[in-house]
Amino acid sequence: MRVPFEWLRELTGIEASVDDVATRLTNAGFEVGAIHRAGEHWDRVVVGEVARIDPHPNADRLNLPTVNTGSEEIQVVCGAWNFEVGDRIAFAPAGATLWDPYADEPVLKELKPTRIRGVVSRGMLCSTKELGISDDHEGILVLDADAPLGRPLAEALGGEVLEFELKANRPDALSVLGIAREAAALYGTKVRSPIPEARPNKDGSSESVVLGIEDAALCARYSAALVRDVQVGESPAWMRDRLEQAGVRPISTIVDATNYVMLELGQPLHAFNWDTVRGGFIGVRTAQPGERLVTLDGQDRELTPETLCIVDAEGPVALAGVMGGLDTEVTEKTSTVLLESATFDPISIRRTAHRLNLRSEASRRFEKGLPPELTVLALRRCVQVIEEIGAGRGEFLTADAYPAPSDPAPVSLAFDRIERLMGVAYDRSEVRQTLSALEFGLDEDGDELCVTPPFWRRDVTAPADVVEEVARLVGYERIPDTLPTGQVMDLAPGEIDERDDEVRDVMAGMGFAECVTYALTSEARMARLVPPDLLDVPPEAPLGDADAWAAMRETAMNDAGRTLTDRLLPLDREPLRLRNPLSTEENALRLTGLGTMLETLRANRRHADRDLLLFDYQPTFLARDGDLPEEPNFLTAVIGERVSASRWNETGTVELPFVRGVVDELLSRSGVPVAEASHDGLQHPTFAAGAAAAVTSKGRLLAAYGEVDAEVAAAFDLDERTWALLVDMPAVREASAGAPLFSAWSEYPSALRDLAIVVDAEVTQAEVQDSIQRAGRPLLQSARLFDEYRGEQIPAGKRSLAYALSYAAPDRTLTDKQADRAHNRVVRALQHRLGAELRG
Amino acid sequence: MQERLDALLSAARAELSVATDDAALEQWRVTHLGRRSEVTGLLRSVGSLPREERRAAGQAANAARRELEAAFETRQSELRRSADGAQVDVTMPGYPVRLGSLHPLTRTLREIRRVLAPLGFRAVSGPEVEWDRYNFELLNIPADHPARDMWDTFHVDDKARPGELLLRTHTSPVQARVMEQIQPPVRVIVPGKVYRYEDRSAKNEAEFMQVEGLAIDEHITMADLRGTLTHFVRMMFGPDRELRIRASYFPFTEPSAEADMSCHACGGKGCSVCGGTGWIEILGSGMVHPKVLADVGYDPDVYQGFAFGMGVERIAMLKYGVTDIRSFYRNDLRFLRQLR
Ligand SMILES: [Zn+2]
Repeated sequence: MRVPFEWLRELTGIEASVDDVATRLTNAGFEVGAIHRAGEHWDRVVVGEVARIDPHPNADRLNLPTVNTGSEEIQVVCGAWNFEVGDRIAFAPAGATLWDPYADEPVLKELKPTRIRGVVSRGMLCSTKELGISDDHEGILVLDADAPLGRPLAEALGGEVLEFELKANRPDALSVLGIAREAAALYGTKVRSPIPEARPNKDGSSESVVLGIEDAALCARYSAALVRDVQVGESPAWMRDRLEQAGVRPISTIVDATNYVMLELGQPLHAFNWDTVRGGFIGVRTAQPGERLVTLDGQDRELTPETLCIVDAEGPVALAGVMGGLDTEVTEKTSTVLLESATFDPISIRRTAHRLNLRSEASRRFEKGLPPELTVLALRRCVQVIEEIGAGRGEFLTADAYPAPSDPAPVSLAFDRIERLMGVAYDRSEVRQTLSALEFGLDEDGDELCVTPPFWRRDVTAPADVVEEVARLVGYERIPDTLPTGQVMDLAPGEIDERDDEVRDVMAGMGFAECVTYALTSEARMARLVPPDLLDVPPEAPLGDADAWAAMRETAMNDAGRTLTDRLLPLDREPLRLRNPLSTEENALRLTGLGTMLETLRANRRHADRDLLLFDYQPTFLARDGDLPEEPNFLTAVIGERVSASRWNETGTVELPFVRGVVDELLSRSGVPVAEASHDGLQHPTFAAGAAAAVTSKGRLLAAYGEVDAEVAAAFDLDERTWALLVDMPAVREASAGAPLFSAWSEYPSALRDLAIVVDAEVTQAEVQDSIQRAGRPLLQSARLFDEYRGEQIPAGKRSLAYALSYAAPDRTLTDKQADRAHNRVVRALQHRLGAELRG
Repeated sequence: MQERLDALLSAARAELSVATDDAALEQWRVTHLGRRSEVTGLLRSVGSLPREERRAAGQAANAARRELEAAFETRQSELRRSADGAQVDVTMPGYPVRLGSLHPLTRTLREIRRVLAPLGFRAVSGPEVEWDRYNFELLNIPADHPARDMWDTFHVDDKARPGELLLRTHTSPVQARVMEQIQPPVRVIVPGKVYRYEDRSAKNEAEFMQVEGLAIDEHITMADLRGTLTHFVRMMFGPDRELRIRASYFPFTEPSAEADMSCHACGGKGCSVCGGTGWIEILGSGMVHPKVLADVGYDPDVYQGFAFGMGVERIAMLKYGVTDIRSFYRNDLRFLRQLR
């Protein structure tokens, strides 16, 4: 809300500077977001007079005013038409600095001579937006006829405006008077209320308006005042200036007066053309089926039954608190006006304004809940203002319906409660003085204080509210720094697992850069994780239909692939969708982070050709019927094709065992030793055939890794081999043996033997390793693969594997003979079980 | 004999000191240690000496020979070292070491946890997809309350319970979740992602991280809140930081306060970081509203305490001098490596 400083001064008598007032109000909870100093940037803007208006030779929508600045005449090109020859206007010659009305954020811009459709413009007639006075950009600002020609605009218009960022709990502060009350309490001055005393009406006239409130819950009070001999025209300059400074566009006397009083007192008012209201009756009720109303904006609206309306004897004439009707609009021909000042139900107004997208200065005030006491005060003030500007003569109150009057309830507060909550003492006299300054009624009973809030402070309902009033007005500077004492907790439900930190540390230690990605994604992005020929993705089913997935499960996946699709890469599930997405690019919560990570890899590939190792460890969202979704932290890592090797000139190419090394390290550091995880071939459309594996332990899928299918990579604009790793960390935790246990090793020297064998190419390394381990018991300590060979030197269809074996006994040094015996058992087992031949 | 040996040694040393390459060194070795060298000759001649002198002469000649050999080796390794030194270019870059990085938000979150852990705050988490009840109602923000405008909300389409599922707009719902499960004392912080229905820009994100703090017991005061926050900003931004709190409004605290710290960039004189004011707005806080306590079953006449909430990106932006909040979510390796 914008409050002209001079208006605030008028109501408070405060002498302090605008900066001081802004700081103290901010500290007391009325945050001043900005102080607009009209004229601050207007160093070269002057008052000019329109001397002539010529048509633009090349454009019908433009005109060519010539401006007299008192010392010269300058022709400009202009797109607005709301001025005439002889009008005084704000003129900015080339070189002046103005706000750019088209920029999203406020930007100052220097005005340069420009050629517009063939005519040179050497300046500009300014709108209030370009001058930074208001957001209104419709038409240029026409000044009073007596504005001093050629003088700087600041002299004609000056003044500071405080812009408040107000909180939702203080409807009373949405007014100059409300801010003035706070300021006066802070500075110890007295508010000069602009509200006149009541005065009697002329006999009999109050019977001419009949009011009917159908439901007091929806309209607590409805007050009305008749104004006769109405003169609709332009308001005087002082009023237009104040309205403009406060950000409200002046329209005409009656409307301006209602807006002025709304700004001043916080009560929205509406003016009906009484001549068009049928039956001398005004009622408040919800709409009946089929009722319609043409509103002020010209729209013919069908009213839903929950809409609160103002009706006359025949039907709706306005949407209560939201917008008036066109038929009862005040026009230049209007002679009698009925001023409405009412208290509507905040929730009803909020719903209607939201539903119709018609939020206004008025509806915003109603939504926050206004006090019924205010209606009659605002009417008096409005009638007084109308009379003062010569726009009519009225009654302060013609009719008033207030079915169920209520006063704010007193709150009782024990004095010691203040110190108990704040941690610092306040004297009783200070408490009393502070609350009195805010116009709270006080009644003391021993150690208890009974506080009655003024009618405009219905937000104060509990002792803590009163404590806040005292603390904020005295100032939070009073509060000292202490630290909480007492017991700490024994149990923290939902405590963050420190092993999550370790997962990140292990990944970073292995060369991966941690990414934090958006949880919002699109179904289309997730659908790209499957080659397009396998999945038809019509717009209505961006992740594909159930039949396509069922077919894919049958033909394009093995058991491991199906298990992967069940949870860790659940692309055939319904994702959680947003009802109000920002865009179709982020309309769902992710089922997997893989799509986003492939995009991240691609983005980084533009500036880096190697060592693209990235991981993300944030929740994914798996819907559960009627419950919150499961939010498991799945780890997603992606790896680009090339990685640095151990010299500058060497780059390694990532192969499957590279990724496996990462998996083994991560799992074993998470409590699942390499020996307890089994790696099996994975067939899944996201991964390249024959270059992916699934990791299980005790029958549960823990991880999947492999090369990303080339078509899928291409869908993410990646034309190189790309690798991915997905880990179900919650499953890993469950499979984990927990903290590692110490096991002793042999203190005696080991006997080392190398073993090179040739086996059929179908025999897996795991089978060979398993045979070695079984046959080597109990002396075999380890068997490390150090070579694999396929090629010319051995027969086709065969592969050679070479291992370094280490034997030791727990209680003695092995003799050569004992080691040989153990080793020969291993060799024989391999020959016998796997048909292996010794090589070399 | 001893005199001859001494003379021979000093001459040989002098010659050795001027031998600067392998050829000169070899020449010296032949001259002084070779088969025809003087020392060898002297050793050979020992046999012709009188029996009682032989032993002493032999020892002296052998000692001289060992000394020459040692001198030769020392000189040889000296020359090797200087020759190697010329061949190695120490300005060559090291071999690549592939160490990864933690995201700056992870690092900032860990730092926040590390600062608050000694005050007894334990880190807990809660769901990001939340019921309206926890995100709003239990925080004293009933349906249709105008305070709901403070949080633009993403709603999740849910046929089973329409209108109730949403993306949490703050980490505050975890306050209610924790308090529902345990009795005071409570002292937790809640880091995690939150969501606002808001266009992304350099200043605003639709997704960002928050950390919530909550301390409830019989005697936790607003002064304890202020002390905790002062400690926090000094640990995060340096011991010279000052804290200023001022009145504010949040539906779930009463009294409420916004906290500013004196600008770490200019020390409070005013600069572009603090917009010339010398102060930087850092978080929102207050004493937990009695209604919030009552709604989770705590007796508000017995228990009281404070809560605070801050944006992690904001803290990280101030710490690292980042000016566009979206940088944290672009995951550009150049950014991640700079701030690791
Ligand atoms: Zn600064």
